[in-house]
Amino acid sequence: MKKKKDLKISRRTVMKGALAAGAMMSAGSIPSKLFAGEFNIPDPLKPLPTTGGNMRWIDSGDMKGVFWKKLFPEYAASRGITIEYDGLPWKEINKIVPIAIRNGTVHDVFQLPIGMDPGVAVSEGWVQPWDDYIENLDEWLANFPAGVYLPGVNQFNGKTYGLCLTANKRTGTCLLYSEKYMSEAGYDPQAGRMTYSEIRDAAKKITKRGNGQYYGWIIGGNQVNRWEDVVHTFGQVAGAHGGRGGFTNRHINFQNGKFQIASDQYMEAVELLLQLKSDGSAFPGVMSMNAPQARALMPQGAAGMIFQGPWCIGVWGRDAPEWKYGIASEPVPDGKKAQPLYIAEGGSNTLWLSANSTMGPFAGDLIRFMGTEQGQIYWAQTVGAADPAVNPEAVAKAGLTGPSAQALAMFAENLLVGPNPIVRNKDVGVVAAKSRVPDPSLALVIQGLYTGQLKGVEAQLKDCNQRYEDALDQAVEEARADGANVTRDDWVFPNWDINSNYGASKYSEL
Amino acid sequence: MNKKSLSKQIYDARWCYVFVLPCLILTGMFVIYPIGMSWYFSLLDWSGFTKEAKFIGLQNYYEAVNDEFFWDAFIRSFIFMFGTVPVKIVLGFIIAVFLNNQVLKLAPFFRTVIFMPVVTAIAIIGIVMTFVFSPFNGPANKFLMSTNLTSAPIDFLGNPDTVLPTVMGVYVWKWLGITMMYWLAALQTVPQDVYDAAKIDGAEGYRLWIHIILPIVLPFAIVIILVEAVGALNVFPLIETMTAGGPFFSSEVMEIYIFRTAFVTDSGTMPRLGYACAAGVFWGVAVLFITVLQGLWMRRTRRI
Repeated sequence: MKKKKDLKISRRTVMKGALAAGAMMSAGSIPSKLFAGEFNIPDPLKPLPTTGGNMRWIDSGDMKGVFWKKLFPEYAASRGITIEYDGLPWKEINKIVPIAIRNGTVHDVFQLPIGMDPGVAVSEGWVQPWDDYIENLDEWLANFPAGVYLPGVNQFNGKTYGLCLTANKRTGTCLLYSEKYMSEAGYDPQAGRMTYSEIRDAAKKITKRGNGQYYGWIIGGNQVNRWEDVVHTFGQVAGAHGGRGGFTNRHINFQNGKFQIASDQYMEAVELLLQLKSDGSAFPGVMSMNAPQARALMPQGAAGMIFQGPWCIGVWGRDAPEWKYGIASEPVPDGKKAQPLYIAEGGSNTLWLSANSTMGPFAGDLIRFMGTEQGQIYWAQTVGAADPAVNPEAVAKAGLTGPSAQALAMFAENLLVGPNPIVRNKDVGVVAAKSRVPDPSLALVIQGLYTGQLKGVEAQLKDCNQRYEDALDQAVEEARADGANVTRDDWVFPNWDINSNYGASKYSEL
Repeated sequence: MNKKSLSKQIYDARWCYVFVLPCLILTGMFVIYPIGMSWYFSLLDWSGFTKEAKFIGLQNYYEAVNDEFFWDAFIRSFIFMFGTVPVKIVLGFIIAVFLNNQVLKLAPFFRTVIFMPVVTAIAIIGIVMTFVFSPFNGPANKFLMSTNLTSAPIDFLGNPDTVLPTVMGVYVWKWLGITMMYWLAALQTVPQDVYDAAKIDGAEGYRLWIHIILPIVLPFAIVIILVEAVGALNVFPLIETMTAGGPFFSSEVMEIYIFRTAFVTDSGTMPRLGYACAAGVFWGVAVLFITVLQGLWMRRTRRI
């Protein structure tokens, strides 16, 4: 295959792209990949080892997996290596990666389990920096938007350990709905953000029309994090301003540094879920299915609404291309105006290189290509809004239409960058490493309330909030005992304007 | 007669020890060492992945015995055992009695059918059963509704009241074949002349089974109960694939509890290998205690 230099697109590719774009425009849908059939993989900037080898790569799959499965064979052939890819659900990554790290058999390139502090991965020596494997690293990093690469997040001791090809500017609890059922119920979520009452009413009407054949709303209820994700995001939309991410960010109101699990906004969100159940609008098997199973039932006509992420778009586009659905922002409590959602600085799907890996030159070469505008365009065209490419210019050039474009526009409108305690004080990372999410976690408490095994929303959320407060206090205490210079005041950002991005200038004011 | 010294005895039997050595080494590596290390880990505050591991004595044990979820899981494991073992033993015995009858021409066929689930991968069964019991188009609910046994679908695996009995039912179905085989083996040890003599003496029907056959196979029953009881306390793959212990811990048995605390879960809790080992050691001792009790019972029965 003929190799091209970075950022140069061949005439043939342009022709293919134009044809595909035309087809896309006429069909009114998104192509799975604009440049059908090949990637223009540039020559490496410096000679790669000629010894070949097998590179193992693991991530959380979904649309990422679709892209990698297209690219990896071409890349591997061009470099004379083999690539073994495992795209697994987070639940599996959370189990496999730690065991593999302990056994010394972790993949060459991997994602860290949810909640695991990257600082621990570095200090424990599980990962190695990418600096030696990416030519002109500083120049390459300069292509990324500000705030993607940060000390304490993916850079440690002056070196870059974690690489992000995707942005974290998305939510996982959008309102995804069947156009047919919703329209029959007399609602159009595109006309404006729906209220909780409207969601209930629509769900009731869909269920009534379904007459046992389909229901108003569905959720993957045995995947417990789905409960927490919905309540957390809905609570934020309703005005519970706070962080996202791991235990040391999530559910914390950065105006006062306290957990807000027992806030009115969270309670209202939980009540909405319970009302959907008591109305009889919930799909009858929600407690025995996970999120992918629930998602798969939507195109089968089993339910009218689901609160999930933009990753559904690609999966439904592939598995049920004829099915008509819509995507809209999360609902808001009656009489309230939707508030911004906040993301932490940094990217998402951070990729780490195993300390034992000898495939660093190839992994670095591949990721360097994917970080270029051309690589990012390729990514955006296949993955779309599911895991948005981190380079906004590349996303704009990718020519996305339909639900993907709509979702990205929605995220751009609804999401702001919020404060991040670890950016303010890297010793917060020590606290993260000491933290233990209380048992039962908020996710389980909501699940217990839904099944009726726990009673009293307010009492349960207050108890849960206290457990979280105590757990963070204990983690801070343990971190301080180990010499970390950190207090609970590091979670208080008095200069936070909830209607604007919280950037470097704001941190310097503290 | 001169009594040989111990060293002399060992030397004389040196080839026996040589032949036993590989087994001893493997047992040491894969049984003794892991048990020993789990005892040691149980005394540490350790995630299992970091270098930092703090010795905290019996604190993990103290925390475990004060954790309501630990005891809930502990009790649930025994509910599972007491709910499945008697059913399997009785059902397995009845089926074995029927299939042991040489007159029944289709006995090999039925034996095969009943044994088939035993050789099917348990994870596959777990996943398939989630579809079978699905309230939406699941065959179990379709059957119940088509026969008017229920007017609305039942969320067998999503309802805290039905989840454990459902999993127990699947477990019994899955392993009934092996219990049946144990009983068949036991029944085939009963000599034919015992049957003949009993019949001459006028013992027939249930009297033959209660007064003649059952006393003969009783020692086997003790062994079968022991094996079944220990088996019913090791149900991790079935429950993990069917419910993962949910909803809200309703089907969380001890193995799931240990697994949950040893690994990062999707509810966001961090791994605690030290604590999980403490729970595991406690659980192991409890199972050992039951096994010893059953062993004593077996010895007593044999004496009778």
